Amino acid sequence: MTTTTTATCSYLHTCQPPTIQRLRTCQTRHRFLPRTCAPVTRRLKLVVVAAAAETTRTMKAAEDGVLLKKGIAEFYDESSGVWEDIWGDHMHHGFYDPDSTVDVSGHRAAQIRMIDEALRFAGLSEDPTKRPKSVVDVGCGIGGSSRYIASKFGAKCQGITLSPVQAQRANALAAAQGLSDKASFQVADALEQPFPDGQFDLVWSMESGEHMPDKAKFVNELARVAAPGGTIIIVTWCHRDLAPTEESLQPWEKELLNKICDSFYLPAWCSTAEYVKLLQSLSLQDIKAEDWSQHVAPFWPAVIRSALTWKGLTSLLRSGWKTIKGALAMPLMIEGFKKDLIKFAIITCRKPEYVYTGSKMHLHE
Amino acid sequence: MRLLTHNMLSSNIKGVSNGFPLRIEVEKVLEKQVDFNADFLRNMFPKIEWKAFVDAARTIGYAELPEEVDNSSILTSEEFLNKFHHALLELHLEEGALVCPETGRRFPVNKGIPNMLLHEDEV
Repeated sequence: MTTTTTATCSYLHTCQPPTIQRLRTCQTRHRFLPRTCAPVTRRLKLVVVAAAAETTRTMKAAEDGVLLKKGIAEFYDESSGVWEDIWGDHMHHGFYDPDSTVDVSGHRAAQIRMIDEALRFAGLSEDPTKRPKSVVDVGCGIGGSSRYIASKFGAKCQGITLSPVQAQRANALAAAQGLSDKASFQVADALEQPFPDGQFDLVWSMESGEHMPDKAKFVNELARVAAPGGTIIIVTWCHRDLAPTEESLQPWEKELLNKICDSFYLPAWCSTAEYVKLLQSLSLQDIKAEDWSQHVAPFWPAVIRSALTWKGLTSLLRSGWKTIKGALAMPLMIEGFKKDLIKFAIITCRKPEYVYTGSKMHLHE
Repeated sequence: MRLLTHNMLSSNIKGVSNGFPLRIEVEKVLEKQVDFNADFLRNMFPKIEWKAFVDAARTIGYAELPEEVDNSSILTSEEFLNKFHHALLELHLEEGALVCPETGRRFPVNKGIPNMLLHEDEV
């Protein structure tokens, strides 16, 4: 059946594969990756050209995906050792009381507090009957969170990372801490988690969401591997929510984020509101989100100070270009936080116990 | 890679309807001692796909697990728990591969770490 809707604007959106029968009106919201629009002159010819362009774009996106993953793996292969040497085995922000000044020794405690605060926000720490038994750590780094949570709850934790060096180190640290029965790590892609559905009582993503090029797929996988009644915790960097009248960020904001993306192997950013929307679209429950930017403010200046110490500088110089480039981007992060562009967000939710499909209610075992 | 981990991994290659369990190709197996923790074992037991676990253990060279466990009273048997503990936590596949049951695609295991990354055309 042919449906032709006369376009109310002259732009053909190529966010979806165009078909001969259909021209879309100007209602598509551009989501996470920028797309281009082209003015329609001759409809048929343009549709064919657009289809070819879409294929090229899809292929390029796939190529970009491969390059991004490779970049991420190499970045962490190269820099994990340096980080661990100076900061220890937690590769995430510390949680601080607002406007506090923290000395060097307080940072590790703050990093552990971050884990505890996240668990508390998700409602997991108080009730002993709600302790998760199986946990997945998505983007596990060298396994700091996994080992801490495994130890705290006596749970079995699986961690996945793109970096073979990190997986190796994570397993070694688990063995050294007598936790190798409870925490194990493998090389895998968060967008294609190598687990069957519904495996984990707790799905944990601590500062890894920034690396995911396809947020929808990322969130989908988190939901898929969560057990019915399980909890999903995402702690991640986002950009500020857009005002209802805004289509996108300001050009200066995009420029700042692009510079950071380049140094840290990040794909395009999204906002906290977009994560919430994704979780809602998957019918997840008890969705909560909070802006924790004020609780991490002391962190980047502290990282910069550590990099400027003798140990920091020599380690950086020995590590490699990727790590150095990452280090040079740290002031940009501070700028982003100061200008209310970059937000440090926590988003949690629960997977329903019951699934309503069609006319039947299924009780999950 | 321990059998506890193997019991949780599956192949998510595009088009595969059931990627569990992964077959095991053994090149090198190590035994590493792990402290016995009965509570942990009892917590883990309901989550284990038993047949896949027994088959995997046999492939790795341990055939002492019972084929079927139909009674949860078995969890009080010291003898059973010891065997369960040994097979679940102390046997490590250091080198080898995990094989997708439908496509035959090999996921290598090196230094005890499985690499489950999919190629672009498998996604």
